[in-house]
Amino acid sequence: MSVTPDEVLRIARLAELEVDGEALPTVAEHMSRILDYVAQLSRVPAGESAQPFLSGPDAIRARPDEVRPWPLAFGPKEMAPAFRDGFFVVPRLGAFDEAEEGR
Amino acid sequence: VSDAAEALASAKAAADRLSKVSRLHALLTPIKDVRKSLTQQAAAAHPSGVLYGMPVAVKDNICTLEFTTTCGSKILEGYRSPYEATAISKLKAAGALIAGKTNCDEFAMGSSTEHSAYGRTFHPIDKTRVPGGSSGGSAALVAVGAVPAALGSETGGSVRQPAAFCGVVGIKPTYGRVSRSGLVAFGSSLDQIGVFGRSVHDAARVLSVISGRDTRDATCEDRDPLRLPTVPESLQGFVIGVPKEYFPADLDPGVRRACDRAIRILRELGAVVREVSLPHTPYAVPCYYVIAPAEASSNLARYDGVRFGPRFDGSTDLHSLYRTTRGEGFGAEVRRRILVGTYVLSSGYYDAYYRKAQQVRALLAQDFRNVFDRGVDLLFTPTTPTPAFKAGEKLADPVQMYLSDIFVCTANLTGLPAMSLPIGKVKGLPVGGQLIGKAFLEDEMLEAAYALERAVPATEEA
Repeated sequence: MSVTPDEVLRIARLAELEVDGEALPTVAEHMSRILDYVAQLSRVPAGESAQPFLSGPDAIRARPDEVRPWPLAFGPKEMAPAFRDGFFVVPRLGAFDEAEEGR
Repeated sequence: VSDAAEALASAKAAADRLSKVSRLHALLTPIKDVRKSLTQQAAAAHPSGVLYGMPVAVKDNICTLEFTTTCGSKILEGYRSPYEATAISKLKAAGALIAGKTNCDEFAMGSSTEHSAYGRTFHPIDKTRVPGGSSGGSAALVAVGAVPAALGSETGGSVRQPAAFCGVVGIKPTYGRVSRSGLVAFGSSLDQIGVFGRSVHDAARVLSVISGRDTRDATCEDRDPLRLPTVPESLQGFVIGVPKEYFPADLDPGVRRACDRAIRILRELGAVVREVSLPHTPYAVPCYYVIAPAEASSNLARYDGVRFGPRFDGSTDLHSLYRTTRGEGFGAEVRRRILVGTYVLSSGYYDAYYRKAQQVRALLAQDFRNVFDRGVDLLFTPTTPTPAFKAGEKLADPVQMYLSDIFVCTANLTGLPAMSLPIGKVKGLPVGGQLIGKAFLEDEMLEAAYALERAVPATEEA
């Protein structure tokens, strides 16, 4: 299984991850190496099966649906890179803006 | 001497010891901050707590209010959590002192602590080698006696592997034994907080304190805290399985000798030792390296430069902000795992990789059930295929690095409790032996560990 640099870029777009052009061949090589390695799972016959494994308790206990005291030592304003009037500040959504302007 | 004076003395002594081992680069918190906080904590600690005055270092992916939580990543540089992990609250309620945050592979992804954005941690005995990972900082600090115990986290062996490399005890509890509230998520079906100790007793005491129910974590079982067993006189009545797949032909000869000696000792202690088979073991590492990156790619989607952490901008639109922040904020190994995880979950590949890995995971769990159903109480294996390897030795080939987890990742995939304890040395480097128990029967595992620890010449060459 070989992953091409173009495939790496496609996956990187899905993952919202910038991949540096210079690093691209190495990233493709390492991804190919890993995917080649894990491909040995295909040697396990499809007919071999066992009860599916699920981590954790058999049943998830729901918490009571009630308003509780604010559990945080401080609010999002102190954590966010940019915050104004109760909102996280982000740049414009490019594709949306272009569509709006095109109308 | 009053209780408070004793706790203050313990805090000062811990800070002094930590400052003397700064050469290891095991602690990410500046020592002056640790010293100041330890003093404040000692003054406020609960004198009636079972861990009163005990300094416990904490891996930097477990949230604390006293110190930053960076997960060894630039993307969380300077991040202060607005809440603390339940495990930390329980430690403090028991009188323990949080002795700073320890270095780790970025977001716990690695087996050598070389993937920390803040530089690698050095092996406590040989600085040219790695302490293991991802909880290498915690293991190294316990190994040099700077703290009697430390917290780490496990997704695929990240407590047991560094415990073996550094010559200390490392315990991964059953999935659901310890709350994960406040443990930064990597692979949610695998992650557990684990414990390091200089002795089985130290590690078990801390595990007992942090275990038990927690309404903040729906995956935490509704059980009482772990009760510590007494040290047994013998291991009569125990049936210990030795899985043949964990002793491959290329196992390091020194590791094999140490394990053979430990098995002889288990027999001398009265245990019945028998060879068993876990036939799907060869597929454990490939299975893990599909499931863990898949879960990581989802969990790490939250780091986008919007809600917390630094923003690497210059961006003119939102997608560019995400990509730049994530591209610059994450290191090479984390980026690689996010890409692999996204790939195996993507359309056209999901069945071949992710669904197949889930099938294999079920078969691995079945292997263990089969063995335990045939009267085996515990399994004994080597923790790692080799002693600590050289720094840089496995960086060029990610698969070689992943293979150092070959004996430890099965317990994470199957949710079982497991631990590593020192069983000897090879050319001066520690070797770990692993015990794997039945789900929620940590007490049986600890009984065997107590007995083995007392009998095995862990500081002698195997």
